[in-house]
Amino acid sequence: MTATRRDFLKTVCGASTLMALSPAVPEFLLRASQAAAPDPEGRQTALVVVQLSGGNDGLNTVVPYTNDAYGRGRTTLRLTGKDVHKIDDELGFHPSMERTLRLFRDGQLSVVQGVGYPNSNRNHDDALRDWHTARPGEIACQTGWLGRAMDAVSDPNRPSTPGVCVAPLPKPVLMNAEATVAPTVTSASQYVLRDLPQSASVEGNSENPLVGFVSRGLAVSYASSRQVQDVLKDSGNRVQYPAYPLAEQLKTVVELVRAKLGIRMFFTELGGGGIGGFDNHANQRDNHAAVLHELSESLAAFSDDLRHYKLQDDVLLMTFSEFGRTLRENGRRGTDHGAAAPVLLVGGRLRGGLVGKHPSLTDLDGDSPRHHTDYRELYATILDQWLGMPSQKVLGKQYKHIEIVRG
Amino acid sequence: MPMNAIAENTTPKPIDAGWAWARFEPDGQRAWTLRWVGHLYRRAAFGASWQQLQDALKAGPQATIDGLVKPTAVQAGADASSGDDAVTRSGEAGALAAWWLRRMLETPYPLREKMALFWHGHFGISQARVKDGRLMANHVSMLRKHALGSYRELLQAAAQDPAMFLGLNSEASRRAMPNDNFARQLLGNLTMGPGVCDEQDIKEAARAFTGWFVLRGDLRYFEREHDTGVKTVLAQKGAWKPEDIVRIVLEHGESARSIVRKIYRWLISEVEEPEESLLKPLCDSFAQSYDVGQLVETMLRSNLFFSETAYRRRVKSPVEFALGIAKGMESIVPTLPLGSALANIGQQLGDPPTVQGWPGGRHWISPATLTGRLALADAMLSPEGAYGGKLNAGSIAKKHGSAGPDAAAGFFCDLWLQGDVAESIRKGLKEAADAAKSPAGDAWFRDAANRVIRIPEFQLS
Repeated sequence: MTATRRDFLKTVCGASTLMALSPAVPEFLLRASQAAAPDPEGRQTALVVVQLSGGNDGLNTVVPYTNDAYGRGRTTLRLTGKDVHKIDDELGFHPSMERTLRLFRDGQLSVVQGVGYPNSNRNHDDALRDWHTARPGEIACQTGWLGRAMDAVSDPNRPSTPGVCVAPLPKPVLMNAEATVAPTVTSASQYVLRDLPQSASVEGNSENPLVGFVSRGLAVSYASSRQVQDVLKDSGNRVQYPAYPLAEQLKTVVELVRAKLGIRMFFTELGGGGIGGFDNHANQRDNHAAVLHELSESLAAFSDDLRHYKLQDDVLLMTFSEFGRTLRENGRRGTDHGAAAPVLLVGGRLRGGLVGKHPSLTDLDGDSPRHHTDYRELYATILDQWLGMPSQKVLGKQYKHIEIVRG
Repeated sequence: MPMNAIAENTTPKPIDAGWAWARFEPDGQRAWTLRWVGHLYRRAAFGASWQQLQDALKAGPQATIDGLVKPTAVQAGADASSGDDAVTRSGEAGALAAWWLRRMLETPYPLREKMALFWHGHFGISQARVKDGRLMANHVSMLRKHALGSYRELLQAAAQDPAMFLGLNSEASRRAMPNDNFARQLLGNLTMGPGVCDEQDIKEAARAFTGWFVLRGDLRYFEREHDTGVKTVLAQKGAWKPEDIVRIVLEHGESARSIVRKIYRWLISEVEEPEESLLKPLCDSFAQSYDVGQLVETMLRSNLFFSETAYRRRVKSPVEFALGIAKGMESIVPTLPLGSALANIGQQLGDPPTVQGWPGGRHWISPATLTGRLALADAMLSPEGAYGGKLNAGSIAKKHGSAGPDAAAGFFCDLWLQGDVAESIRKGLKEAADAAKSPAGDAWFRDAANRVIRIPEFQLS
């Protein structure tokens, strides 16, 4: 550490706190610095998971617009070359996803095609549980893949916050851990503590190990509060986020990333508020267009914001949905629960482009595309290559990696 | 008797079990002070009002514990299980938590709620899995009913509780395909702890639970699906049924030991693992009776409970943190927003994260959860917002004769921490009080209360 102790304390606690602490500045505050900024020199990566609740129609998200089987299966919902934002001669993004194509062209977005798992479940709750636990079919499994990752990296003696739920929902199973608490933080301002004149009475010397432990945690809390306050003050050139709930969540994520609190995993969600989600058994067209528009515009603002602060190389976002949908319409201008679907990835360190082939539309599984990429391969890749967390420990076995991350 | 140890205010290692579990009788070395009263009310209740602290100080430890263990109001029937109202049973998000938090605040028998909360974590049954508000409310009622009774009876009741079966994903168990989730939990977390018995014991015990199904919220038994054959569980052979498995597993010495350890952690200390020899007398007697009330009473009345081994050796759970503030402020807060605020910082009543319950201890604390705690405290004490100004720090301080800034700062420190903080902290509080020479309105009182809540020791029980 090159800065003087006093400079450091100023940064961590702010001047007024420092006044309250002087003259005897406890040693533990120096140690707390390591927890506040776990790797000040190196960069710390973060993962943002976006859940598309209800079962997203992958075939109308990344559309095989020249495919005959697609044309035959979709009568009222068919999208043609005139409608889509073309990726190439075969595939295009849904008409609502203009800005998604722009991210794709900029190399900030990848599409992993045909993601799913063997004998995938078509019941919402069961399939969501499978994606959350990464242990398909094990109904008694209680922990989520990110929860287990949090347990694998946290040290109860060193207070840190490896993951937070940003979605305004009950805590997702995905972040369920045996030991680590993943708090819900729906707005960065929740991290800001009201300043009390002459406040902090953080004191570290006691026979009781718990007093020192809590003191260190409090020191980091004050530091975090300060860091978030600074971030929230500086909103001058901020990218405009659209007025969507998902955009609001992603904005919060970027603020928390900018504050460098050491949070590695974020959970966000789109579509879970009942009507208006991705589960369109009837009259799918307009509903689906609306949620995809929210997704596309929110992702674009998120990516722009990260790039504005040059943080795009530190953050990876992935979407998932519990299942895709059937190829054929069901007679009610909607589609039913399916299997494999594409996963979108956003970030600055992606290989970019399309990952894997578009699944066949003639060799189907219960009228839905079959997966060729197991979602646990995606998880393993993200854990090992992006987060630097042991995937084998988290997933129970070593899955092969897929080529998504640029070195 | 290591009297010298008491004089030095430290506890010798290994701790003498005879001394540890003998009744605490205050003497010249260890007086009955506010410090111990606050300690007792944090552990055996959810904190206390200033009046309760003062009354206990006059009454002495054993009489105070008498009142906590057998409240006269309860003997008079004031705490009859009222209020299992329609909202609680509706399964609406947060209804159960809101109702329970209110009960924890209002009950004349907080020790029972404290132990019901212990069992809630112990059993690890969650509304997210049960998915039925009525069954979940019944489950909590069952925990409360037996909270200080016989653990044997509690386990037998649990083996008949549909929420248990749903919460353990054990809603169907056929002869041809026994579901072993219930047996696994029963032989593991609920009794001997994980990893004591082997897989074969679990498989055999699971056969005893065949034939039991949860259908439309009722636990039903189908004779034709029950495996009537002989099962060997923990070396005992017979055509066992669920109640036999409960009996057999409780006969295993490790069961009593494991529960006593867990309750020790709940009531005495999360910091150090107790020596086998220290717990032996408690384990021996618990293995005979499985009388939880007696075990809890022994611990609360003991020398060890009123020693440095126990003092502030637990991290408050979010529930204890928030209710301690409300108890001191002598008012009921709106518990619906409180329930969801507590969920956000890691403790959703009705929804423990896994069947192992809340890990507790240091796991409660992270920078984010600490910030959440302090922000929650500030919101609870705020004159506006979700908590509607129900907790008024100014009026409580004035009520107890501390109208000026200096006196009020000292009062909050005495109320919540019994003044037991480092001299530098006291000095800091006094300086802050002096700085508020001409406090405008009552806002200053809220700041003073917050300052005390931000002292590290406040997070400890």
